[in-house]
Amino acid sequence: MTVPTNHRVDGRLQLTFTRPAATGDTLLQVKEQRPPLRVVRAFPLPDHAVLTHLHNVSGGVLGGDHLTLCVEVKAGARAQITSTGATRVYRHRPDYPSATQENHFQVGPGGLLEYLPDPLIPYADSRYRQVTQIELADDAGLFYWEVLAPGREAHDELFAYDELQIQLNLHSAGRPLALERIQLQPTRTTPGSLVRFGPYRYSATFYICRVGLPATVWQTLEKELQQIAETLTTPDTVIWGVSTLAAHGLSVRALSMNSRALLTGLPRFWQAAKWALYGQQAVMPRKVY
Amino acid sequence: MSLALLRLLHLADSAFPIGATAHSFGLETLVAQGQLTPQSLSLLLRDLLQETGRLEAVLGRLAYRCSRATDSVAALDQWLQLNLSFAALKPARESREASAALGRRFLQTVAHLEGSTLLQQAQTQAQHAAVDIHYCAAFGLVGGVLRLGEEETVLAYLQQSMMGLVSAALRLLPIGQGRASEILWELKTPIAAIVGESHKLVSTSKSFSEGASWLDQLATFTPLLDLASMRHPTLATRLFIS
Repeated sequence: MTVPTNHRVDGRLQLTFTRPAATGDTLLQVKEQRPPLRVVRAFPLPDHAVLTHLHNVSGGVLGGDHLTLCVEVKAGARAQITSTGATRVYRHRPDYPSATQENHFQVGPGGLLEYLPDPLIPYADSRYRQVTQIELADDAGLFYWEVLAPGREAHDELFAYDELQIQLNLHSAGRPLALERIQLQPTRTTPGSLVRFGPYRYSATFYICRVGLPATVWQTLEKELQQIAETLTTPDTVIWGVSTLAAHGLSVRALSMNSRALLTGLPRFWQAAKWALYGQQAVMPRKVY
Repeated sequence: MSLALLRLLHLADSAFPIGATAHSFGLETLVAQGQLTPQSLSLLLRDLLQETGRLEAVLGRLAYRCSRATDSVAALDQWLQLNLSFAALKPARESREASAALGRRFLQTVAHLEGSTLLQQAQTQAQHAAVDIHYCAAFGLVGGVLRLGEEETVLAYLQQSMMGLVSAALRLLPIGQGRASEILWELKTPIAAIVGESHKLVSTSKSFSEGASWLDQLATFTPLLDLASMRHPTLATRLFIS
């Protein structure tokens, strides 16, 4: 069966954040927005930054959707990006390809990107592929988290999706800082394995980078954040860990029985790391927090 | 063949002096948390083979092929890239540094034993480029230099890797030598299967110089074990290095 092309969307959002010398404030330029992806405005934040909400006006990701997000943070600009709600990945439709989300993030010299979306929720029988490319220039900064849910718990959907693929390539100056190659097919690969989720259901990953800082900064920050991790860890509910990356940053990881523990814990690390790396307060995205 | 076999047996022996017995790669934390038990050990190792074993087998094969390339300068550049990619795929510093420590010592030791120019160049270039040498990449490169056979090299690497983890488990869990041998014996079939899969992955990829498409076909996901490794330094008492 041939899938009618008007039943599939090819959404695209291309955003550029600049910081003209005249005002010193970061400006959002929307280069392209093709439904269902959309942004409405940028809200000013302290320290010449702006906050932008990503909208998916179709309410979620449908089977066959191909969505592309391109974000360029130019030299010295500071952008905070969040979503308006969880990313819901709907049931796969027969004869349609897997839903695909491509993300391209480029952060210029001295720029800062804070990408703090709501959780990804793959519904039962969904098929989803996400590929994220992040390139950091010299002195570029990154706070990037992702929270992955097992499905709609309220509907007793736990790891009921068909397939989930998440690839991430985080580079600076041609060197890979972090690579992820997640492929989960719950009917073939047991999520509850002791190498995968074990008894937990939700996962979180948080990358914290600033290119060019000496390794000692990251070693010190790892110890500081590890103390927060120990404070927040209650093994029956959630476990947290912190580790330096191969270079220029560190990652915070967690596995949890619920999303709440992750969504309340991640900002603690963000606040501590932003203060340590930039001497600034982390400002939570203006919405439900 | 007999000389190659003898060398391979020597290199894959747990007594080879690189300090492999000092690391638990997260197992100690899983035991401390009450999650890893004698009953669950075998299944954990099988799942680990699926996720990390396949990655290391692919890296080992590609490293082996680097040693067989005609342009040794380009081949060593590719080999350094393999090491960088492997490091970026390992989120837990402790396990990453353990792999780097084993890889560095392994290459040093064999370069000393064999006096190979390529192995010495590999060490020098890695040092100059500040690139850590990872164990699977070092093992593959050595296998190629010594002409041990690609399949055999990767099989031996995974075999000794599993032996190292079972050896760690022997010290952490109430299991005996007999049960440990049973577990290792039962792992031979999955090891062979993973090595076979790694051959397909490498064969269906473009050549390394045309782009690292092998990397896009890989899947590896071990969050609980990664967290166990990240949390290992916080354990009150530890048998293994942090």
